[in-house]
Amino acid sequence: MRYALRKLGLLLLTLWAAVTLNFVLPRLMPGSPADAAIARLSQNGPVSPAVQRAIEVQLGLPDGNLWDQYVSYLHNVLTLDFGVSYTFFPQQVSELVAAALPWTLVMVGLVTVVAFVLGTLIGVGAAWRRGTWMDSVPTMTGSFLSAFPYFWTALLILFFAGYVAGWFPTSGAYSATAVPTFSAEFVGDALYHAALPALTILLTSLGGWILGMRNTMITTLGEDYVTFAEANGLRGRTVALRYAARNAILPNLTGFGMALGGVVGGSLLVEQVFNYPGVGYLLFNAVTNQDFPLMQALFLMITVSVLVANFLVEILYGVLDPRTRR
Amino acid sequence: MTRSRWTQAATALATAAVLVTAGCAAPVQTSGGGNAADGTTSMLIGADNGSPTFERNFNPYSSNKRNTASYIYEPLVIVNEMSGDETPWLAESYEQPDASTVVFHLRDGVTWSDGEDFTADDVVFTFDLLLQHPQLDLRGVGEHIASVEADGSDVIVHLSSEDVPGAVIIAQTMIVPEHLWADVDDPVTFTNEDPVGTGPYTLGEFTPNQYTLVKNETYWQADKVAADRLVQPAANSELDIVNKGYDWAYAFMSDVEDTWVTADPEHNTYWYPAGATIALIPNMTKAPYDNLDFRKGIAAALDKQAIADKAEQGYVDQASQSGLMLPAQEKLLDPDLPNQGVVEQDADAALAHFAAAGYTQSGGKMVDANGQQLTIRITTPNGWSDWLQGVQQVKTQLGALGIEVEVVQPQPAAYQREMRSGEFDMVMGTVGGTGQPYQDFSGMMGARFYQDVGTTASGNFGRFRSPEADALLDELKVTVDDARQAEIAQELQTIAYEQLPMISLFYGGSWGLFSTKSFTGWPSADDPYASPKTWDQTPLLILTSLEPAS
Repeated sequence: MRYALRKLGLLLLTLWAAVTLNFVLPRLMPGSPADAAIARLSQNGPVSPAVQRAIEVQLGLPDGNLWDQYVSYLHNVLTLDFGVSYTFFPQQVSELVAAALPWTLVMVGLVTVVAFVLGTLIGVGAAWRRGTWMDSVPTMTGSFLSAFPYFWTALLILFFAGYVAGWFPTSGAYSATAVPTFSAEFVGDALYHAALPALTILLTSLGGWILGMRNTMITTLGEDYVTFAEANGLRGRTVALRYAARNAILPNLTGFGMALGGVVGGSLLVEQVFNYPGVGYLLFNAVTNQDFPLMQALFLMITVSVLVANFLVEILYGVLDPRTRR
Repeated sequence: MTRSRWTQAATALATAAVLVTAGCAAPVQTSGGGNAADGTTSMLIGADNGSPTFERNFNPYSSNKRNTASYIYEPLVIVNEMSGDETPWLAESYEQPDASTVVFHLRDGVTWSDGEDFTADDVVFTFDLLLQHPQLDLRGVGEHIASVEADGSDVIVHLSSEDVPGAVIIAQTMIVPEHLWADVDDPVTFTNEDPVGTGPYTLGEFTPNQYTLVKNETYWQADKVAADRLVQPAANSELDIVNKGYDWAYAFMSDVEDTWVTADPEHNTYWYPAGATIALIPNMTKAPYDNLDFRKGIAAALDKQAIADKAEQGYVDQASQSGLMLPAQEKLLDPDLPNQGVVEQDADAALAHFAAAGYTQSGGKMVDANGQQLTIRITTPNGWSDWLQGVQQVKTQLGALGIEVEVVQPQPAAYQREMRSGEFDMVMGTVGGTGQPYQDFSGMMGARFYQDVGTTASGNFGRFRSPEADALLDELKVTVDDARQAEIAQELQTIAYEQLPMISLFYGGSWGLFSTKSFTGWPSADDPYASPKTWDQTPLLILTSLEPAS
């Protein structure tokens, strides 16, 4: 219990630091929201002085001095009121986030879980049968695939599976004429559209889980208690899963906590490539447009989820490995 | 993990796989426009991009409106900003009885798409709305208008001063219906989800990934509108545009002949006409950029066509130092300017100018009197790769004379801030582009936009000051006589040519892709009646000029 409380106190302290950083960092970026909006418009040609003035009045500048802004920011954070987005004026930040979040949570979230489970299991198998094809094939493929950057794999998949072969749609989260509902038809349509981005994330992240699990597992397999278990004539699978894997999974579990927390941040590059309306795309829009309210909401969401996920992992650690509870 | 859990995981995966395959049957893909079985015509357009999906905002004064809001709402007069030509629209004509009054004679028989009549009161209401809400005033009519009154089917606008160029700015205002907008609580945050306008189209079905515009059957020139339905998807990637058979899209495509045209050589065409001038703007508050000989040296040192070719892959021409967009504005051009105002590359002349400014070549380097290397800093926005290509070419060409060029690339927002507050040495920017001499030249060099360094300016970013130019601009503002207007425009070109408030490089392009498969009559180099752009008012000219392909 004291362990959990200590961790909780640390969580609150880190949260405050993160929230404050979240306030400061966007304001260190050069240029105002109006500058960013004008820059966006000027890509289509000159922006007349009248438009520049109208945008300045429309977006205005944040009210008051930094301290007042900070106080009202803290108040907004506590009441979860993030105001109106600059980029998507006059839309509410909360509406934008609510619209983008489900897409990311389902697509990126599911894939992260699948990749973790699949990668860890393959890693266990590879370590158990090390030296055979069951080790070399997944390890080689895994390190090969994870060496590619996300967006490069995404572009390749987009081009071949979407464009050349035409198996899957190349952009969006659902068909052009579909209206989001919970009908079977729409869910099928959404899954069909999620296939390519999901495949991209799966392929590029699987390797890390495989390699991580395999390497720790091999170290664990050399421990005395494993030899002892084998000498006692326990079945191979029992030794691998109950004795070796349970201990070897700890580093992977930490990684999983981080990855799960990071899910709400979306998968920026993949969402960009596939025009997927998730949080990553929204974040990209917010940052390139100096959209303080939207950025603050998104960064806050990301930091809080990472911190909470880490907190939960640490608690789980305490259960899995009694030594950490000291 | 035990055996049963393995089985569960496998089952879950299999279920997901089945769902994915089941989904394969569901999708509806958009295909190109064309003639449907029931005889209606449909046009697939790339006029508006989602980010990545569409927000339903058809408020014509919102800076985040759907581009096609201007296919629903119409202005009094449409101006082709390439040539400056005006086409009367909701106003049949307008006149200026004196320099501080404009009278618009409105068209009869125009109705809103809900059946109500369009009246002079709607126009008065619209101007009052913009005066009350400067956030919505994207054309800046507020600074020109003192008051507006209706007189039968005429609208009389009293200008805030003698202001001839103001008339055409006011005339381009999109008019909204009083009977619906009078009840709007806050027009600034109003998203106008169900727009009612006078224009050729009304909103059809709207989803976040695609919407349609449907022909307004009661439109006042309905017989001129060929397409019954416009289909606008949210994602218009280059792959989509080429593959799905768009009828009209606005997109720069590299190697357009081998991508867009090859996809359907019989029908696919493109037109990439010249837009506003892309120029190097020197900071007149800093040495040596305030030195005329120095600026002349730079202008003479550059081969602008080579820069244009490098930046825009040969699709645009070098720009005239007159500040005009050529050939569209040819009739305004001062015939006395040599070579249509294009400053030719001439290394000897450049060296002579630099010598006059105090710089000489020494050991392959351009140095000042103290033997210090001459270094120029040019600011250009990060990520605008075409401009960067152009700047690299500038760097190479100036490097050949021994001048060192440092290219600074801040993020676009920071670039805007530096340009507007005057914190740069030389900045790459856009000048002109409205087709109206008063607006273009005052934005280029007028005292009206002059601000001290550190204060945000919205024009004249180089902080250029010329009493002569200001006198001409002031006169142009109050001159009703066409012949005198033309003379003043020519004198302003001479100042731009001789004083170099900016160093013209090349014309920014407008990127129009058209297909003649279903519709003909698109604007082209032979018939430049409108810019190919898909936003603002000129699309109305295109949508009312097309014919169904036979």
